[in-house]
Amino acid sequence: MIRSRTRLTCLAVVAVAASLAVSACGAGSRTAAATAAQVDCQFTAPAQPVSVNVLAYNSSAVDPFTNTMVKSCTRDGVTVNHEPIDFAGQVQKTTATLAGATGTYDILENYGFVVPTQAAAGKLRPLDDLFAKYTAQYGLDRISPEMRKVMTYDGKLYALPMQAQMYVMAYRKDVFDQLGLKPPTTFAEMRDAATKIQAAGQIKYPIALPLLASSDIITAYDSAMGSLGANFVDPGSKTPNFDKPQAAQAFEALRSLLPFMDPQVATFDQPAVQQQIYNGGAAMAIMFSGRMNDLTQASNNRFASQMAFAAPPSVAGGDILYNTLSVDGWSIPANTKADPDMLFSIIASSVGPDSSKASVPAAFPARQGVLTESSSPYAAAALASITKAPPAEPYPWTSVISNEIRPVVADVILGKTSIPDGQAKMQQLATAVLKQYP
Amino acid sequence: MRRREFFGFVAPSVLVMAGLLVLPLYQTIAWSLQRVNYGETGTFVGLDNYTHALTDPRFGQAVLFTVELTLVVVATLIVLGYLLATLVNGLGRSRPFVLGILLVSYVIPQVVGGAMFSWLFNSNFGGVLNFLLSTLLGQDILWFASTWPNRIMVALNTVWSMLPFAMLVILAGLQSVPEEVVEAAQIDGAPTWRLHWNVIIPTVRGTLGFVAIISIMDVLRAFDQLIALSPQAVQLGNESVMLYVFNVAFQDGGQQLGLGSAVNVLLIALICLMLYPFIRGIAREARHA
Repeated sequence: MIRSRTRLTCLAVVAVAASLAVSACGAGSRTAAATAAQVDCQFTAPAQPVSVNVLAYNSSAVDPFTNTMVKSCTRDGVTVNHEPIDFAGQVQKTTATLAGATGTYDILENYGFVVPTQAAAGKLRPLDDLFAKYTAQYGLDRISPEMRKVMTYDGKLYALPMQAQMYVMAYRKDVFDQLGLKPPTTFAEMRDAATKIQAAGQIKYPIALPLLASSDIITAYDSAMGSLGANFVDPGSKTPNFDKPQAAQAFEALRSLLPFMDPQVATFDQPAVQQQIYNGGAAMAIMFSGRMNDLTQASNNRFASQMAFAAPPSVAGGDILYNTLSVDGWSIPANTKADPDMLFSIIASSVGPDSSKASVPAAFPARQGVLTESSSPYAAAALASITKAPPAEPYPWTSVISNEIRPVVADVILGKTSIPDGQAKMQQLATAVLKQYP
Repeated sequence: MRRREFFGFVAPSVLVMAGLLVLPLYQTIAWSLQRVNYGETGTFVGLDNYTHALTDPRFGQAVLFTVELTLVVVATLIVLGYLLATLVNGLGRSRPFVLGILLVSYVIPQVVGGAMFSWLFNSNFGGVLNFLLSTLLGQDILWFASTWPNRIMVALNTVWSMLPFAMLVILAGLQSVPEEVVEAAQIDGAPTWRLHWNVIIPTVRGTLGFVAIISIMDVLRAFDQLIALSPQAVQLGNESVMLYVFNVAFQDGGQQLGLGSAVNVLLIALICLMLYPFIRGIAREARHA
């Protein structure tokens, strides 16, 4: 009996030790409370202790704002709670917390792509009155008007912008210099550069784009259509634009890059594209600006000193680049019972000058003047990129249509469906979605 | 036992079963007939959700893929589980340590195991196995972008994560085989393979059936590992039923609770169908016992 118990203990110890050893390999966090700034967070102390629950995904760009909020506003009977979570988890929890008459969270990290959908459904509290009331106290007039516009639906502000991301092109300066190449400004130039790099024989797949079939691919297609001057939907007539020539050109443009990209590119998200650069497997990559800081770290990237940055190219020339402007900000759910003035003070204090400075270089803060061309190796490229991004599509149907057509977009880009068939299917799916928005 | 005592003992179990099994099942069936969002009262839509699922070619492909994966993985689990259990059963003092090591893949969360497994095949992240196989075969294998290599990788990972369970249960079954029966067969000069085929396997048939039942239910609900191993599952036709539910009903904040529930009801029917032969066998044995 004793012997069998000893064996059982040994068995348990070995199993636990082995699993801990294995799981410890993935332990640790890229976020740190060290990025938190101590700011002045003013609000009237509540009569009873209050917990303010914040839902915000962890990233080096968002953490400085969240950490500042937690550090500076937990006082006078108010406890600001934030549990670590990834972006996909945030998306799921946002849907759940906004669903009922009461929710779990009082402050939501939000982004321009979904704000109109939530605002149209009455899930968010308009912030215009609070914005006007606290502009002087928190210097909110320095928050980018363009980014505020992205967070505006039907003339009302539904999220206070904190930071933005836009596409930036990263490229290997050593490879480009060696072959006498310049950063491409159009897709045609990008293909020419890639052809020369391939011919030089060093890099088999010179171009790296995040085209993950289950997520990034729709952003890529949207960016390509945007660069060609077309929205997904014509907002005036509420008719989809997938039967327009630009919809086909966007497909052709993306497909024209396939010979220069890894054959498994439709499985690559942004971290996988970063890894391609780290491995020396690609000479140029286009990703959101928040991913660029990692490329400049010698601890990540043995080619860090060789990295250079530029605005992304346009698809076919012209002023609008292959680009998407994604703005992150703070929203207040309509179903929170907490005092709106207190909540707004908390979010307004977190986007102040100090926390915005703390977010550089990982983020592109919404506060004007914080990021300059000398802020980071890619700041100039980001500043050039943001001015030439396609206009946002702040409509409630945009995110719904994107989700619906994504598998079709992936099928067309991967050649499983012809471009005309894909266009017809997308037009049909989008038309069905638009019927829900009379 | 008095009637009052009987109900006193049985009531907690009945309540737990009703709360955790019957009510959710009822709610799932009710939602499958409605269009319903989180926190809102649903609208009755009859069989629309079932029609939507059953006329979607993606759902058909997901069922086909899931059933094929289940048949291959369960057969492999029973064969390998039996072989491994036989080997472990023959070990002496080292058995607890070997068992402990073998259990590692079972205690690791599937999504973590799937991510680690994917790195073995991913050239972008080192990909040791991919490198060895590519060198051996002289060509690159697109493990994540080609249908069959991806299916093989998913099946291997599923076997890897579930094999310890099968082995452990079969090992328990082997330890219950009467020694005198085995000795009698050996004295009669039965070769090893006949000893197993004619003596031991019939004795542990119930255990093997149990492993099959649990494994079928587990593999039919495959989801976690596909997130890491098959990012292009939809395009490859390697979407499992559970992944299909997630993709069409809940991805990116979707709220198609009705459609998700309808597919889950269909999955329950599929599970019952696949388990029917095993449950019938167990019931028959119980009647004859």
